Amino acid sequence: MAIIEVNHVTKEYRLGQIQSLKTVLQNAGRRLLGQPTETRAPLKALDNINFSIEAGEVVGIIGHNGAGKSTLLKLISGITQATRGSIRVAGSIAPLIEVGAGFIPDFTGRENIYLNGAILGIPKRMLDGKFDEIVTFAELEKFIDTPLKRYSSGMQVRLGFALATSMDADILIVDEVLAVGDLAFQRKCFDRIENIIRHSGKTILIVSHNIRQIERLCDRVLLLDQGRALQDGPSTDVCDSYYALMNKKIREDAQRTLSSSRRENSSGEVVQVEADVLDSQGSAVSQIQSGASLKIRVVFTVQSAVEKPEFHIGTHTTDFFYLTGSSSALVGAPAVLPPGRHTVEQIVAGYPVVPGTYAVRFAMLDKFRRVIYHGETLALFTVTQRLRESHQDELRIVDLPVAWFIDGQPLIESGRNTHGSSQALGS
Amino acid sequence: MFKPFANLIRYRELIGVLAWKSIAMRYKQAYLGIAWAVLKPVMLMLILTLIRSFIGINSGDIPYPVLTFAALMPWTLFQESVSDGVNSVVGNAHLIRKIYFPREIFPVTAVITKTVEFLINVLILAALMAWYAIAPSWQVLWVPLLLLYVLLASLSIALVGAAVNVYFRDVAAALPVLLSVVMYLSPVIYPIHLVQEKLLHHGEEGSILYTLYLMNPLAGIIDAFQRVILRGLPPDPATLIPGFILVILLLPFSYQIFKRAEAYFADVI
Repeated sequence: MAIIEVNHVTKEYRLGQIQSLKTVLQNAGRRLLGQPTETRAPLKALDNINFSIEAGEVVGIIGHNGAGKSTLLKLISGITQATRGSIRVAGSIAPLIEVGAGFIPDFTGRENIYLNGAILGIPKRMLDGKFDEIVTFAELEKFIDTPLKRYSSGMQVRLGFALATSMDADILIVDEVLAVGDLAFQRKCFDRIENIIRHSGKTILIVSHNIRQIERLCDRVLLLDQGRALQDGPSTDVCDSYYALMNKKIREDAQRTLSSSRRENSSGEVVQVEADVLDSQGSAVSQIQSGASLKIRVVFTVQSAVEKPEFHIGTHTTDFFYLTGSSSALVGAPAVLPPGRHTVEQIVAGYPVVPGTYAVRFAMLDKFRRVIYHGETLALFTVTQRLRESHQDELRIVDLPVAWFIDGQPLIESGRNTHGSSQALGS
Repeated sequence: MFKPFANLIRYRELIGVLAWKSIAMRYKQAYLGIAWAVLKPVMLMLILTLIRSFIGINSGDIPYPVLTFAALMPWTLFQESVSDGVNSVVGNAHLIRKIYFPREIFPVTAVITKTVEFLINVLILAALMAWYAIAPSWQVLWVPLLLLYVLLASLSIALVGAAVNVYFRDVAAALPVLLSVVMYLSPVIYPIHLVQEKLLHHGEEGSILYTLYLMNPLAGIIDAFQRVILRGLPPDPATLIPGFILVILLLPFSYQIFKRAEAYFADVI
């Protein structure tokens, strides 16, 4: 039998401030007189969500900000109620929604453990038994009788995490608490959560923006978008969909801002500049794969002849971090560019940046190296992932193919990662 | 009616810890500590005794300071339980947004916290009685029951007030005014027999007014406190019943409103 059943759940919020007593009375008056009242359209935080979770499953919930993840957790843990539909939970719930929610600064660590233990629903008997373990885990042996306001923020967070994870409930709800404190403590937290997941046999719901962690920890992932459940299935598949969705979102956002963020500075000699990104067939595209070749074409009109022109074409991120740039002066220049429409193209053999949205920059200089035209964000294009993005190191911007050796032996990618590997290593 | 009690029993540990928290929090860094809890009724008693020396209120054979203090004890308990209870839900917004347990725990805890302060005031009363050489009789055994009645009366206002206060903060703003009105309508400053004498000698109209006066549960409670503690008499059912009926009707209604509103506290607060 399912331990959590969510049946066609819809949650609506009324937007805006709480109505004042005055408005309520006015509305009541209008209702009595049969006049229309002022109402606000409700916001659907969750729209007909339907799923069930079996005992012992570890389920991740992912989605953008505002997708409804936290609302769903709040409904399951009983903090708020669904507008329509029903939720049935057969078991006790330990919500790790925010560590240390009820800490009191004036109380000592010891007092706060007992206070928050009671708030989280840990019986005092159990708390007595686990007290030393909690204190040891939080590394606060020396400070346990010091008021919490003298603690560093890291110490407080450690105490909160140690306390919250010592609960014994059938269902554990983890909302973005996997990474607290310094790196060493994060490691401990992660191990503790992983240990609970692997060995306790409890049902666990995890919400995180760290997709890689979700993919590693969960068997099953639910992808929410704007209150709807887009996908519910094995974690790898759903995480891939999430990245696809994220790329699409970034592109849409970028298109919307394209017109507003286009920056041009011209002496008047160069006008009507248009830039495009082309595929190998020469037709304009909006996305390329990471590591594929990038062809940029700029078309412009010259008003009067320009002697020994010099062209610069480069790319930058949407927040104007300049990534690439190259001058035609290195290879030479036409003696004179007559008035009229001209085309310049630049090919980057392998454009090696991480997936994301990038923009094209173009500049033109005359023989005195005077800038006669400079434009930024002339075109936008998206770089899509090549390997499974969720397995990649996040701390990078340039994405170059690498080869690995362990003890002198080449490390060959195997298993589920084979897709795309030939490109990564072979080329 | 059984579920509310089951919840309270199930969450008794939490209620205890939360009550300890609010007591400890209030007095943690105060030099006089919990002694502050008794300051308010003692100060009020001194002020009222001073006023009485100008205007002359007939307190019968009981010394006025003791009589007033015996009235101020249940009154302070009621007044502070109601005002803390009404503010308890909004005041714990951070917990309400993060975690679920039955929300009536907040007003209940507020009321229980105030009971602890009430018990401290009992010591002051005992000292006053010793000073004026008033010996208690076996009738003081009524006090626990009367105390329970004060708590129920407080809860019947605090529950509905706390729920409505989540939606309209006007409640918390209006409360001090309303409570001071109730104080003047209760026999705190003056003994109840003065009201009785004034109204009951005015025929039909007077006795209706007197019954209305007794609809205020505090009227009966304060009278009963003074009777059982100071006069060695049993409580007078005639003064208790009108208010008691009101509380018995109001409490389930108040609880229902609270429970119905509770589901949306986290969304609105």
